[in-house]
Amino acid sequence: MHSADTLRSRPTSCPAASADGGCADDQIAGDGYTCRFERGARPESLILNMGPQHPSTHGVLRVLLELDGEYIVRAEPVLGYLHRMHEKMAEVKNPAQFMPNMGRVDYLHALAWNWAYVGAVEKLAGIEIPERAEYLRVITCELNRISSHLLWWGAYLLDLGAFTPIMYAFDDREMLLDLLQLMTGSRLTYSSFRFGGVYTDASPAFVQGVRQFVPHLRSRLPMYTALVTENIILRRRIEEVGVIPPDMVTRYGASGPVARGSGIAYDVRRAEPYSVYDRFDYEIPTRAEQCSMARYMVRMAEIEQSLRIIEQAIDSLPEGEHMHPKAPKPSFKLPAGESYFAVEGARGKIGVWIASDGGKTPYRVKLRAPGFSNLALFAECARGTLLADAVAILGSLDMVIPEIDR
Amino acid sequence: MTPETASVTPDVLLAPLDPAYLADENPARTGLRWSAFLAADALPRAAALLLEAGWHLEDICGLDVREGLAAVYHFDRMAAPGRLAIRVMVDRDAPMLPSIADIHQGAEWHERETADFYGIAFTGNPNPAPLLLPEGMEGYPLLKDAAARAPLAALLAVPGREDTVLRKAEGFTLLEPAEDAKPAKAAKAKPAAGEEGSDNA
Repeated sequence: MHSADTLRSRPTSCPAASADGGCADDQIAGDGYTCRFERGARPESLILNMGPQHPSTHGVLRVLLELDGEYIVRAEPVLGYLHRMHEKMAEVKNPAQFMPNMGRVDYLHALAWNWAYVGAVEKLAGIEIPERAEYLRVITCELNRISSHLLWWGAYLLDLGAFTPIMYAFDDREMLLDLLQLMTGSRLTYSSFRFGGVYTDASPAFVQGVRQFVPHLRSRLPMYTALVTENIILRRRIEEVGVIPPDMVTRYGASGPVARGSGIAYDVRRAEPYSVYDRFDYEIPTRAEQCSMARYMVRMAEIEQSLRIIEQAIDSLPEGEHMHPKAPKPSFKLPAGESYFAVEGARGKIGVWIASDGGKTPYRVKLRAPGFSNLALFAECARGTLLADAVAILGSLDMVIPEIDR
Repeated sequence: MTPETASVTPDVLLAPLDPAYLADENPARTGLRWSAFLAADALPRAAALLLEAGWHLEDICGLDVREGLAAVYHFDRMAAPGRLAIRVMVDRDAPMLPSIADIHQGAEWHERETADFYGIAFTGNPNPAPLLLPEGMEGYPLLKDAAARAPLAALLAVPGREDTVLRKAEGFTLLEPAEDAKPAKAAKAKPAAGEEGSDNA
């Protein structure tokens, strides 16, 4: 328990110093987080500080672990190493100026964040989007989802000690980046959605490239399965490891493949339909096992489902404008009011809440990152597992730290 | 959660807590399905009722307005989607709210983030250390200067917003249109990051 006053001056090092009659700084090496964590530990425990530069913490995440032998007694992720205060930037820039930030929150599925922000702005300002732009958004966003899943796949196996798969994944991902470069002009930090459409129209080269890519990746997936998914070493490492029961999903507000790997068929594209997703025939893959392998299988199945969506969208791509003729100028003013727009990102439910008082810049913007809630359950999930399993569990959550820290 | 509880709407669910305001919203317009104003001390009970009925916490958004600080809790249901915004007013001079992290464990980080940005203390949070900002940092980055604060009604009760008010307590005036909304907008000069210590030191 604490009072408002103690929070008003944030603790600098050891909060238990005065209560114990002596500061622990001379006994415990490390900062306030280590100090507080170690003070709660049992005397015979080993405290392990994993990260922030540990290769399996992807980006810079730090996890404090209390170990009993090789078993995890307690875990505490320490965030903030990649915090950039995007929500403050959103309050001092107008919507068009803030768009590039959306390519940098989750750099692996940047277009989903593009969509969440333009969606919230369009809803608030009543901006219409041409049908062709909706289809182009679906196609590029799904291509981006596949590139995110491929990178996760390669990096996860790298975490688990398999070096080769990431080479295959990057080979296929390279084709995706080339395609997305045609549409967005960038290879990673895309910010190509606009209020009222998308920045560029699809060129014949893009359409043809997408048509070639879909069967190509489909032909590669059986090889992925044979090479990796059915590998006995992988299965022993991740099956029945990191079990997340459905009630844990609810208590933490987890979403995306983490929820679907626990048997919950929740996908924002279905639950809160947006754009033209209701026109396509695709499934929401779920698994009942609740373990790391279940989340793995969900993502692999989602690659196939995204291919299905892309195939249908490119076949039915309507003619027309890629920007609405009445799309606002970049300097437009948001009307007063609030809007919440959610989309399904590669990691789960992305939400953007905008409250505007009608001024030049939004009054308040909240960025709801799926990885934030997904990682929050790690401490509970990892309790009682082996240290090596912690790596398998962290990887199975598919964290992108810049999104979590925002 | 049973199939029966999944269909209970928040106006029935939250009725025992006597919300000061509860409205049906138009999701096509705001992305919300319901919105409510609750007293701060009713928050843990509301969180428990919602969890029991299968709701999950999406996020907690701090907000600095002329009437004081506010926290907006967004909840949603996986079984029967529809977003509920629960708004709670917080006293600017003693910014405290009860933690709901013992009910929705995911709230722990959301509360710590809100404490980082707005200086709201969540009593009962199991680990009230800074989450995203450095320890020992001065100031709260999302607090606004007095001149830049908008009245709540300017953000939420805009003309043309067709909410259907289901409950409204006697004397609930937070969403009444502010008479002097214009001058506030004119004075809306955003301070630079380092200059806002004046009213939140």
